[in-house]
Amino acid sequence: MIGAIVHKEFFSTLRDGRLLILGCSLLVIFVGFLLSSTLQTQQLRAEKLSVGSTAKQQWDTQSVKNPHAAAHYGIYVFKPDTAVAALDPGLRPFIGQSLWLEPHKRNFERFNPSADETLAHRFGQMTTSFVLYALLPLLIVALTFNTISQERERGTLRMLHSLGLNTQALVFGKLVGLLAAFSLVLSPALLLAFLLLQESFNLSTDEGLRLGLLLLSFLLYYAIFAALAIAASAYFKTSRVTLFFLLAFWLGSVFIGPRLGAVLAQAWSPNPSAEVFWAAIKQDIDLGLNGDGNHEQRNKAFEAQLLAQYHVNSKDELPVGFVSLNRQFNDHYSSRVHALHFDRLRDNFMRQQHLTLIGSSLGPSLAMRSLSMTLAGMDLAHQRHFEDAAEEYRHYFINLTEDWDRERSHGTERNAKGESNDWRSVKDFSYSPPDSLFALQQAQLDLVVLTAWLLAALLLLSLSAKRLTP
Amino acid sequence: MPIIEVNHVTKEYQLGHITSLKENVVNSYRRLVGKPIHKREDFKALDDVSFSIEQGEVVGIIGHNGAGKSTTISTFLTFNRPTSGEVLIEGLSAHEHSAIVRAKIAYLPENVALYELMTGVENLTFFCTLADINISTELARQLLTDSGLQADAHVKRVGSYSKGMRQKVGLAIATAKNAKAMLLDEPTSGLDPSAANDFAGRIRAAADLGMAVLMATHDLFNAKQVADRIGIMKQGRLVEEFDAKTVQHDELEHKYLAHARGLA
Repeated sequence: MIGAIVHKEFFSTLRDGRLLILGCSLLVIFVGFLLSSTLQTQQLRAEKLSVGSTAKQQWDTQSVKNPHAAAHYGIYVFKPDTAVAALDPGLRPFIGQSLWLEPHKRNFERFNPSADETLAHRFGQMTTSFVLYALLPLLIVALTFNTISQERERGTLRMLHSLGLNTQALVFGKLVGLLAAFSLVLSPALLLAFLLLQESFNLSTDEGLRLGLLLLSFLLYYAIFAALAIAASAYFKTSRVTLFFLLAFWLGSVFIGPRLGAVLAQAWSPNPSAEVFWAAIKQDIDLGLNGDGNHEQRNKAFEAQLLAQYHVNSKDELPVGFVSLNRQFNDHYSSRVHALHFDRLRDNFMRQQHLTLIGSSLGPSLAMRSLSMTLAGMDLAHQRHFEDAAEEYRHYFINLTEDWDRERSHGTERNAKGESNDWRSVKDFSYSPPDSLFALQQAQLDLVVLTAWLLAALLLLSLSAKRLTP
Repeated sequence: MPIIEVNHVTKEYQLGHITSLKENVVNSYRRLVGKPIHKREDFKALDDVSFSIEQGEVVGIIGHNGAGKSTTISTFLTFNRPTSGEVLIEGLSAHEHSAIVRAKIAYLPENVALYELMTGVENLTFFCTLADINISTELARQLLTDSGLQADAHVKRVGSYSKGMRQKVGLAIATAKNAKAMLLDEPTSGLDPSAANDFAGRIRAAADLGMAVLMATHDLFNAKQVADRIGIMKQGRLVEEFDAKTVQHDELEHKYLAHARGLA
């Protein structure tokens, strides 16, 4: 019986002109955004490559100078965008594009695209992912709001009942048939997206896997909307009331929930201002962490330890450069303090992200949005992974320059020199983005929320079938 | 054994305790100003109705709106449960053996509701599949033809069908089900005289093949033409029953109007 219902629903939906018109309209919008987004991602990749290469060349061709002075020239590193970022740029517009690595201080990324956007962007951004997570559910609502109530209004439900219809088979058959028809209409867009991304970025296996997971997640997400829409259509007596309810739900899920979640997250777990953040780091470096003593005390202790280690009476007698050693010691301490504060801040970002999911009580869109960003590698977790790798690289090249400085000077001299061979010997920053398994681990909470919504939607669908009367 | 039986069926709706917010507000106001409050009355949609229909027999039930004709038919389809009494098909209670009973029943409402985006053949095949009857496209076409639907309409979408054509698809479903009993709710309402006459002939033919038919209608002419017996319902009660062959049309009309006007 359910097979017949699926078959009937599939073909009826395809024959319904609404699906074709709405599907084609959305296809045009989707392809438009995807093209624009793909070009933007390609352009960003090219820019990052070009700027990175120029910066490296400038680093390599520095004149003969003190290695520490060379280190102060700094190195720019860039987070590579996955091809999936063309579908969902995630946090890219709000996070900087490059990270400047310099001695003594850890930085945030610079140059966020949203700062360069036109005035129109302040009224909300339209992206490919917006089409996928906001507009397509609206298409589902438009297609399904009357799927059962219309049967009631037209009398077919009475006919079906008279034949001993199994109402569970009816509602679940409708769900499967509708999703099948919807997937068929959506498939040209998906195929086009895949071919475009393959052509533009030469997709890696992991990127292909991420795309597959993203597609699967979106199908799950659409199934939630479809199941809820059919349940509402069965529950409410008229199509008009059903449509009103579903539009309210869509608004709550797509627009109100995320904003509500963000407001609550900021209220319950606020971030420090930039001024407070940097002041706290400076204070901890100056005064020291938990009994470490202040800056002066730590330096005195280090000097004493160094003199004892090399069995000399003064800094000037040291066989290695004291200035560099002392700087390395202070940098090490500074890095520890920076790591503490950065981790605390990023932990709070994650806490806020989790708290934001409270907004998911109004609908699954927030969790889907978050999952989509994670699978695209454009979320906080991937950003943190990149920043940690960049910080490790910062330690590497700063320590390397300090090693040259220390080894090429004695006592309190400041005359160590480095040359182009030294600069060229610094290894390039080679970053391997985490794989899709990492993404799935980071998205556990989003997956739990989506699964909970799916189960709730299916339960409601089943309950609505029980009270389905002509 | 009769195919269709209605045994002392009463269907009572107790509405006295149901009040809406609006009614509560209005009644509060009326109490305040000393006026009598509005109260919903309990009412009986069916009041101790009993009759039976043998194999090959057609019984027409006539009566004005709200007399209980459709409620009687709905009871067989378990759309409502009687407060007391029971309805039976071939001796089986419709409520206790609903799945078996539904398999024995064909139901044709006033407007046979079909899926507009599907063709006549597709509708017939779909409804038959839901009734656990697998029919081939060829058989579906044959059934539609036998029900009087022209061949070129078989593959047209039902959205373009007239009411009479839909009734024919409904008849084809009933035939495909090989139903023992047919329940018709205002089947000729809205049909032109020629189509109504044709439909009446097909009902009679179905009965002659052994089907028991219960037909609720306003159409006295049609009832007299098709039925073996005619019953008049009024306020949920079966108040009179005639042999359709012996009763004169004028007499039937007179009785019907007398009950409708409260003169009988």
